[in-house]
Amino acid sequence: MKPAHFEYFRAATIGEAVDKLGGDPEARLLAGGQSLIPAMNFRVARPSQLIDINGLEELKPLVARLPENILEVGALVRHQQIATSPLVQRYLPFMATVALSIGHWAIRSRGSVGGSLCHADPAAEWPAFMVAAGAEMVVAGPQKYRRIPADTFCSGFMETALGPGEMLVKIEIPLAQGGWGFWEVARRPGDFALAGAVCRRHHSRTTVTWFGADLSGPGTVTVESEGGAGHGTHFWEDAASRVLAVDDDYMLQILGYCADQACRQAQSDEGRDYDNR
Amino acid sequence: MAEEFASAPHFVGARIPRTEDSRLLRGEAQYLDDIQIPNLLEMAFVRSPYAAARILSVDSSAAWNIPGVRAVFTFADMPFVLPQNGPSPIDQPVLARERVRHAGEAVVAVVAESRYIAEDACEAVHVAYTPEEPVLDMQAAQKDRPRRVHDAAPNVFYHQEYETEGFQAAFDTAPHRLTMTFQTTRQTACSLETRGIIAAADPFSGRMTVYCGTQSPHRLRGDLAEMLQMEEHLLRVIVPEVGGAFGMKAATYPEYLAVVQAARLLRQPVKWTADRVESFLSDVHARDDIHDLEVAFDQRGQIIAVKDHLMADGGAYASYPFSGAIGETSLAAKVITGPYDIAHLSTVIDCTYSNKVPLGAYRGVWGPVASFVQEGMVDRIAQFLHLDAAEVRRTNLVQPNQLPYRNAAGMLYDSGSFTESFEHALAQLDYTRWRATQEQARRVGKYLGIGLSNFVEPTAMASSEAGSIGYESCSVRVEPSGTVTAWLGLGPSGQGHETTMAQVLADQLGVDLEHIVVLHGDTDAAPLGGGTGGSRSGPLGGGAAMQAGRKMRERLDVYAAHMLEAAVEDIAWEHGRAHVRGVYARHVSLRDIARIAYNDVRQIPSGLPIGLEVTERYQPPRPVSFSNGTHAAVVEVNPSTGQVTVLDYVVVNDCGTLINPLIVEGQIHGGVAQGVGAALLESLVYDDSGQLLTTTLMDYLLPSAPLVPRMRIEHLVTPSDGALGVKGMGEGSLIASPAAIAGAVNDALSPWGVSFERLPIAPRDIVTSLGRSSAAPV
Ligand SMILES: Cc1cc2nc3c(=O)[nH]c(=O)nc-3n(C[C@H](O)[C@H](O)[C@H](O)COP(=O)(O)OP(=O)(O)OC[C@H]3O[C@@H](n4cnc5c(N)ncnc54)[C@H](O)[C@@H]3O)c2cc1C
Repeated sequence: MKPAHFEYFRAATIGEAVDKLGGDPEARLLAGGQSLIPAMNFRVARPSQLIDINGLEELKPLVARLPENILEVGALVRHQQIATSPLVQRYLPFMATVALSIGHWAIRSRGSVGGSLCHADPAAEWPAFMVAAGAEMVVAGPQKYRRIPADTFCSGFMETALGPGEMLVKIEIPLAQGGWGFWEVARRPGDFALAGAVCRRHHSRTTVTWFGADLSGPGTVTVESEGGAGHGTHFWEDAASRVLAVDDDYMLQILGYCADQACRQAQSDEGRDYDNR
Repeated sequence: MAEEFASAPHFVGARIPRTEDSRLLRGEAQYLDDIQIPNLLEMAFVRSPYAAARILSVDSSAAWNIPGVRAVFTFADMPFVLPQNGPSPIDQPVLARERVRHAGEAVVAVVAESRYIAEDACEAVHVAYTPEEPVLDMQAAQKDRPRRVHDAAPNVFYHQEYETEGFQAAFDTAPHRLTMTFQTTRQTACSLETRGIIAAADPFSGRMTVYCGTQSPHRLRGDLAEMLQMEEHLLRVIVPEVGGAFGMKAATYPEYLAVVQAARLLRQPVKWTADRVESFLSDVHARDDIHDLEVAFDQRGQIIAVKDHLMADGGAYASYPFSGAIGETSLAAKVITGPYDIAHLSTVIDCTYSNKVPLGAYRGVWGPVASFVQEGMVDRIAQFLHLDAAEVRRTNLVQPNQLPYRNAAGMLYDSGSFTESFEHALAQLDYTRWRATQEQARRVGKYLGIGLSNFVEPTAMASSEAGSIGYESCSVRVEPSGTVTAWLGLGPSGQGHETTMAQVLADQLGVDLEHIVVLHGDTDAAPLGGGTGGSRSGPLGGGAAMQAGRKMRERLDVYAAHMLEAAVEDIAWEHGRAHVRGVYARHVSLRDIARIAYNDVRQIPSGLPIGLEVTERYQPPRPVSFSNGTHAAVVEVNPSTGQVTVLDYVVVNDCGTLINPLIVEGQIHGGVAQGVGAALLESLVYDDSGQLLTTTLMDYLLPSAPLVPRMRIEHLVTPSDGALGVKGMGEGSLIASPAAIAGAVNDALSPWGVSFERLPIAPRDIVTSLGRSSAAPV
């Protein structure tokens, strides 16, 4: 279980990283290494070159840009930072809850938000969260920067909208109003989820975004209703079967269950006040 | 029993923290992979991608051309086998010979200057195969379908039948009969430290030193000598720190022979350590069993007769020296009635070859399977008769006045506390309160279940996965300075023998613990012994330590009596000092005695030899000694997701005299953790082509810390008639726990009438079995 031969390069600037990446289609960026390194050890991934971006300060901000009502998260911010940051607690505490359900402490301490989004594992929490939050990805390319909305960023099973030579720099998350809820089912605490759901509620609008091992990426459904969130498991199960390409009964059942639980949480969360509201 | 303690026991029975823990917890322990030897080469294996295939050709030219590659071996270069002379005539080759018989079987061994290079070279070796149809289903395999795994032998490599006299009549005339099929899924021990071995020749002496995390150091040395045609006295096996073994590391494996032979051929040290994928593909598997069972009973639930067809899938070869298939079935057939008084038994055993990894030992071997079957059977009877599960157990338990009790298979339960441990467990759990809580919870859509598991644990047997040495050995030397060094033939892997054996010796010798060091695992130093396995180290190792300690003590008493001018009977020892009983002022220290024994030998009392060294071997009075106990679990099942949470867990354990309750409890904690794995999580899954799908710890789910319940443990003490009254206890907790947890899940699902007879019980199985309704039918 040793990787095949590769070259190692530590990038000093984003420009340098992007140049290297653009110049070698077999090169890969190294962030926390929690997905890439195991894949290399299995020799499933065989990059010619690792471009280590861990020295790039521009990828590490975690700030609230209050006039714009935006939380800015650098691609290299670690999951555990999100879980413990006072800033996140203050402006988007729900994000900390999500972070804590990712892997184990050791993995969270190294694994990065950007790495997770670019790896685009369908069972990962961040892609679904970003879609639910209406986040935007800021991406550096060989020529220029561009912005990609979260709902088109993860474009399929372990696929992203990143073009050749492009890298994720940061994510901008709107500090929007309303209630949040999150539920996932995993075989053991810390495992990748079998399935999970993020729910947002604002006035009469309920949005559920699913993630899960059997999916090809985050799947979202929005329901407009006057009443409470109490649609129940079966309602969400039906919704999931319409929106997602899943025909496994067990998966559908837990997708429905997760949505229902997340919605209940979102409903009670909606009444709460955060500093940004 | 009391007279066996030469001094009043200060240490046996005390909660003494483990001597080993300091180095283990500081990360200072040296495991195999920590050993540094100059010029050490590394071996890696090209393993079969097919479950069954013919090898057409091996082209290793590209591998030889990679810089740093030192050798590429096939069977032709090392034509050795692990022989089978028991019931199975099929040898296991060191490297595949013409055919591959399971995915992961080693075909080519590459030796290179680093593991990186060795793995590069493995990729460069081209093996051409013609795939063959794999044999994967044990029931079809019994009829040699779809074909034979080995042309030279039928697939059934072990068949046994047994029936008590009058069985058929008793069975036929019983008021009720039920049929059920229990099945366990393949598991493996999954030790934290993977297997590995280093072989390094000493160019001056011509001897070969082998470092290996084996459970039986002397047996491994003998095996290597025999199989590789080497001289036993020119081999030395050293066991470094071992990070878990669980029976799995008792076997002698093909890789071990390959490494030692490579070191001989290359005249340079060679190492192999398994990576996790290799572990799954080459460590022995376990627990691949089916029990087709019929049980006959009366209206009170009293069991009259049990008929069981025991089947096990032994994999491609009978693992050396202990086939897990034979071990699991033949022993299960002997104790399938557990602690219940069942008069009639009829068993048929069939063990078969398949194109899977060989089945070997894993902690508890037969026990977790047999207990799951036995307790499942009792629960099904209770359900059928609408009787309380505890009540049916009471009806069937062997009563105190029946002991010693010979069970229907002829096994003698020497002593035990079957009814007492059961009642204590119910009381500890507060069984009636949980039953009431269960009732209330159901009304609000919460599903709790209670699982009860009574177990017997045959321990200290003459033969086990560790080998067939029915005794254990201990050498004791009082050093010239008066401190004590002891060696045992054991092969511990985390059980704390350095502590427990020192406790036994300290009481015998009347010295303090810090003046004793216990060593093991070096065949150049340790007396020849059987190793660790089959819950033998406490009763047999402890017996050897006691006997050697006592022998030494007798000699020391003569010295002390002579020097103090007192009678031998009047000598008492404390803290390494002998005094005349009642007269503390008249004393002599062990150091004084040792000085005479080694350096002032003219002063040695007449009749005593020079020096203070003894070697003793202890063989217990009985071929087997039974421990017993009860586990009780309370779980909650979420019917929407199938997730199971253990809410409460109680253990009542009786292993006779406890040498160290702290260590006994540690053993129990680990066994219950593994029981959670067996009941709910762990399964090795093969696909239809014989590929093992679960080759990482992301797929093979071990219980993680949050899933291990807090447990309450109570000890009962029914001593054996062996040394110190100690019985073995290494396996009982894993024997009992899967049944307790599975029983609790089944109890929780009883409103649906669902009952699982197959382990593990996965969330998907639960949800699927409940149909579309997550609320129980009323
Ligand atoms: C045991 C275990 C359990 C886990 N459980 C979970 C879980 O429950 N939920 C979960 O979401 N994740 C889980 N993970 C994955 C973990 O969250 C990883 O951290 C994450 O998937 C990848 O982040 P990373 O920083 O380690 O990226 P890396 O492994 O370094 O990189 C991953 C991929 O993204 C690319 N990449 C990285 N950064 C950038 C960038 N800025 N721009 C463009 N491409 C980039 C890399 O080239 C690579 O292809 C688990 C991992 C392990 C080992």
